[in-house]
Amino acid sequence: MPSLELIRPYFAESRNRILAGLGSLILVDLLQLVIPRVIKHAVDDLALAEPQTGRLAAQAGAILGLAALVGVFRYAWRMCLLGTSRRIEQGLRDRLFAHLQRLPTAYFDRTTTGDLMARATHDLQQIRMAAGMGIVALNDAVIMGTAAIAFMAYIDPVLTVWALLPMPLVALGTRFFSRRMHRRYQAVQVSFAALTEAVRERIAGVRLIQAHNCQDVEALRVERVSRDFLEENLKLVRVTGVFSPLMLLFTSAGLVLVLLVGGRRTILGAITVGDLVAFITYLGLLAWPMMALGWVTNLVQRGKASLERIAAILAEAPAIASPTGARPLPRPRGDIAFEGVSFAYPGAAGRSALEGIDLVVPAGSVLGIVGPPGSGKSTLLSLLPRLYDPTAGRIRLDGRDLRELRLEDLRRAVCLLPQEAFLFSGTLRDNLTLGDPAIPERRLEEAAAAAALLETVRALPAGFDTVVGERGVLLSGGQKQRVALARCLLAEAPVLLLDDPVSQVDFATAAVILRTIRSLVGRRTICIASHRIAAVGFADRIAVLDRGRLAALGTHAELLQRQAYYAHAFHLQAIEEAAHAA
Amino acid sequence: MPREPLDFEDVRPIGGYDFRQLLRLRPLIRPHRALLAGSIALVLLITLLDLALPLLIRHAIDRFILPAAGGDPAAAEAALQGLSLTAAAFSLLVLLHFLFSFAQSVLMEATGQRIMHDLRMRLYAHTQDLPLDFFAKNPVGRVVTRLTGDVQNLYELFTSFLSFLFKDLLLIAGIAAVLLVLDWRLALVTFLVLPPVAVAAAHFSRRAREIFRTLRIQTAEINTRFAETIGGLRVIQIHRAEDRNFERFARLNLENYRTGMEQIRVLAVFLPLIEVLSLAAVALVIGYGGSRVPGGAVSLGALVAFLTYIRMFFRPLRDLGEKYNVLQNALASVERIFLVFDTPNPLREPPAKAAPRLSRVEELRFENVEFAYVPGEPVLKGISFRLRRGATTAVVGPTGAGKSTLLQLIPRLYDPTAGRILLNGVDLRAWPRAAIRDRLALVLQDPTLFAGTLRENIFQGLPPPSPVQEARIVEAARLDRLLERLPAGLDSPLGEGGGAISAGERQLVAIARAFARNPEIILFDEATSAVDSETEQAIQDALERLLAERTALLVAHRLSTVRAADEILVLLGGRILETGTHAALMERRGFYFRLHQAQAENGGTPPPESPCAGQTPML
Repeated sequence: MPSLELIRPYFAESRNRILAGLGSLILVDLLQLVIPRVIKHAVDDLALAEPQTGRLAAQAGAILGLAALVGVFRYAWRMCLLGTSRRIEQGLRDRLFAHLQRLPTAYFDRTTTGDLMARATHDLQQIRMAAGMGIVALNDAVIMGTAAIAFMAYIDPVLTVWALLPMPLVALGTRFFSRRMHRRYQAVQVSFAALTEAVRERIAGVRLIQAHNCQDVEALRVERVSRDFLEENLKLVRVTGVFSPLMLLFTSAGLVLVLLVGGRRTILGAITVGDLVAFITYLGLLAWPMMALGWVTNLVQRGKASLERIAAILAEAPAIASPTGARPLPRPRGDIAFEGVSFAYPGAAGRSALEGIDLVVPAGSVLGIVGPPGSGKSTLLSLLPRLYDPTAGRIRLDGRDLRELRLEDLRRAVCLLPQEAFLFSGTLRDNLTLGDPAIPERRLEEAAAAAALLETVRALPAGFDTVVGERGVLLSGGQKQRVALARCLLAEAPVLLLDDPVSQVDFATAAVILRTIRSLVGRRTICIASHRIAAVGFADRIAVLDRGRLAALGTHAELLQRQAYYAHAFHLQAIEEAAHAA
Repeated sequence: MPREPLDFEDVRPIGGYDFRQLLRLRPLIRPHRALLAGSIALVLLITLLDLALPLLIRHAIDRFILPAAGGDPAAAEAALQGLSLTAAAFSLLVLLHFLFSFAQSVLMEATGQRIMHDLRMRLYAHTQDLPLDFFAKNPVGRVVTRLTGDVQNLYELFTSFLSFLFKDLLLIAGIAAVLLVLDWRLALVTFLVLPPVAVAAAHFSRRAREIFRTLRIQTAEINTRFAETIGGLRVIQIHRAEDRNFERFARLNLENYRTGMEQIRVLAVFLPLIEVLSLAAVALVIGYGGSRVPGGAVSLGALVAFLTYIRMFFRPLRDLGEKYNVLQNALASVERIFLVFDTPNPLREPPAKAAPRLSRVEELRFENVEFAYVPGEPVLKGISFRLRRGATTAVVGPTGAGKSTLLQLIPRLYDPTAGRILLNGVDLRAWPRAAIRDRLALVLQDPTLFAGTLRENIFQGLPPPSPVQEARIVEAARLDRLLERLPAGLDSPLGEGGGAISAGERQLVAIARAFARNPEIILFDEATSAVDSETEQAIQDALERLLAERTALLVAHRLSTVRAADEILVLLGGRILETGTHAALMERRGFYFRLHQAQAENGGTPPPESPCAGQTPML
């Protein structure tokens, strides 16, 4: 059971606590068995009708003392055992988070955010419950069960055998139902994750849903997923609903046997009536452990199903990682070469996103990339920081295959500005520095100015310390794009990859941004994808992509001469400019 | 990524729980009350069987075993027969017990799950109608937590709390009555421990309440952090900010752990305390009751019965502690859920009778419209203009000028803070919201696509189109290139496993969706910003054909998009600076002219008086 390996370290880490907790739990159980003895003595004394007030007070005091001890040890086991389960939850969640951050982009293309959110809260909660109350109940069941059986055997071993005759059925039943329960719980958790995602997606897109008055249609879709969840739960209860009462049924079957066999033995004089009554009382004690066992099985199966879901993520190897023994890249120059690079998105049918790309971008030069939507521009750029790895061919930085470099070094050398700007909720400063306290104010301002953002920042209520993003000041699309650009400029990477950096800004702002970019020419290697000819026209060479292939490569002038797509685009953008600039 | 200590900008109610909130769940229960009643009836039956089974054993002992024990063989024969019969009856009751228990679990689950399903759907329907303001204050992760985790928590209330209410409370009341009948003096002395129990419960519930509230808030925060990290992971990875982001999460997670430990501590004191008090009651019975036995005031049998009953009395009372825990947790969730339900929706619908009927959109007029996201900081000021049927109006201006905001006032995603918008001469707020929303198509800067097929995304909630219509829309939105890449065509799933679809292609899908709606009003917010000129040109042509009889408002940066518009609004700093046709504006040689010049110069120098003038890039 490899998934159990996940929580073993936490048990090992707090082994002493757990042992102390289990010890306390056992003590509590034993003390609870002592208390009836004290009561029995008191009653026996009273039955002798010897008025001994002192003795009685002592006995009452003893009970109070025992009660205090029970209280103390109960507190101890709760803190120790349940605390460990909280620790497991916390530890696993940290691990999950850290691991997710290392997974490649391709993983998130096939997983939904809602699913991961469900695992991070709901599933971890199930594991916590199984690891906490599950262990307590199991322990309780074992101790109380053993004690009850011991008392029974002390009274009449033969009858005990009869009473325990249904026990093998309990074991069989547990095995049988555990497996089914496990499967059902898995299905329930999967549908809970689907529900989380269905809701998340619609909350994220609520603007469009409202504007198009599609609330009813979308509510129906959520309703479908919510109903699935309901159905899965009902399927589950058909298993759990049989299992728990069944455990009790087996105990009761034992009771019937005791009644028949024990009754016969009593009638025939083999045991006394008193023995039979006591025996039945102890058998009653066994009912609670049996129920607890049912409950534990339930908890554990649920926890296990959840644990497997967590393990599935943790087992996902970070496919894109630093190779072992990679040599460092201390001073990257920024020479880039694509050699027969092809790439297909995992799981995507149809043609590859890129096919046989051969390109050389010498250090300090500028490569422009143009092409219709879906031609592979963004894909090409995202291969450089190794968000994805090529499916064929290779990419070199300063002559070395990207896959031979330490990821850390590569990403220090290469900075990508993604097409869609992403803002974290937090201050503008944090969005620019990404929490790096080492970046001085002066550089922040320089970067903001270079990205034509400084005016915007100055207009904000608290400047760089204004909270933006999900729960702060709403920035416009163009403003977000400039924040992302400033973030990228701050990174000071020798290779700058700009994916459509001016798509959402007006032309005046674009002009400022492009001037900044042009001022970097010669000092940085720049790859810039854009639909605006103005943004690529100054490039040393321009790549025209079409359906994932390199359709043409040349300077602005060359392409104007001999490349139909590029010439047409230029024509479209320039024609009225020429007409109206006059 | 803020470095300030964790701050949860969640509304945090203070003081006691309002148990009346539970009453607000009544309408949810009503449709399922038959099921619920059935389930409760079964609980009662099961409790009865629980009580009957020991009686049957006593019957077997008293009637058959005891008289025949060690007696003559003939009597033994009869006794054994009686014993077999009793055992058979016992088996029957045990079987019934099993069946009832199973039925009860299934019934309870079905009821609870249905109620939760209804609640979730109501909450969802309510939430998706809330003004966007709500979503600006509440990150997606938090809202999702309300709809999933919190509703799930409430479910616990139904399964464990209701059974407690009808089983344990009944048991407690019954035993209290029996004790009073047995010996009222001893009973009252025993009940002396109850006031401390009540005081302890009150004290700990106050502590627990705060903790459970914090836990719910932190859970939402954890969800939010996960959602945001996954959404921005590319940026985090590219900038190698993983460690810093992790530290920040780990701090939140540790905080959550500490709160959890606090919860354990509170219960670890409370539950044993109840246990100690229950044993104190036993000590009282022994000490006080025992001292009265020799005088004959209390019989020994009564004392023994008392002791037995007290154990039975405190078991449900201790359970009450556990159940109370569940109740507290559920109440914390109920509170959160009703916070959402109670979020007022200022975008009021007019009463159904009073609402005018809309035949066709003839005109939309903005009259002195002002809008502020934050009171006192208007982003639009004194906006007045007119959109006519069949006319295209374009909005241009620097980023952050308020173009997108202006656009979003039309579908009433926001209402103006001052001034008004008139649809066919009637205030937009007087129309049912559906009247305008059903007639418009909005394409946003960042297109929203949902998991599902391409077809579902384009024909979102519309009746299935004819193949001809379908082909026309695909053609108009230039989806042909995308489709040729996808073997399953329009039935290709987007999202999971569907392969990446580029930002430009997403815009095309959103445009196709707009075309499919066959709208009277079309609102484009930078709808083609990620699309190349050739595709854009084709869409422009399609749009022109489509726009013949329609009203259009386009936000664009590319002046090529804007040129053909019937009227151009130049927006700057939330005000309309210039209006007119392209030719007229060029004539004026104002801001528009300079914007245009900057573009014409092929990305050269910025216009002299643009907001960005005078900055020198310094990298």
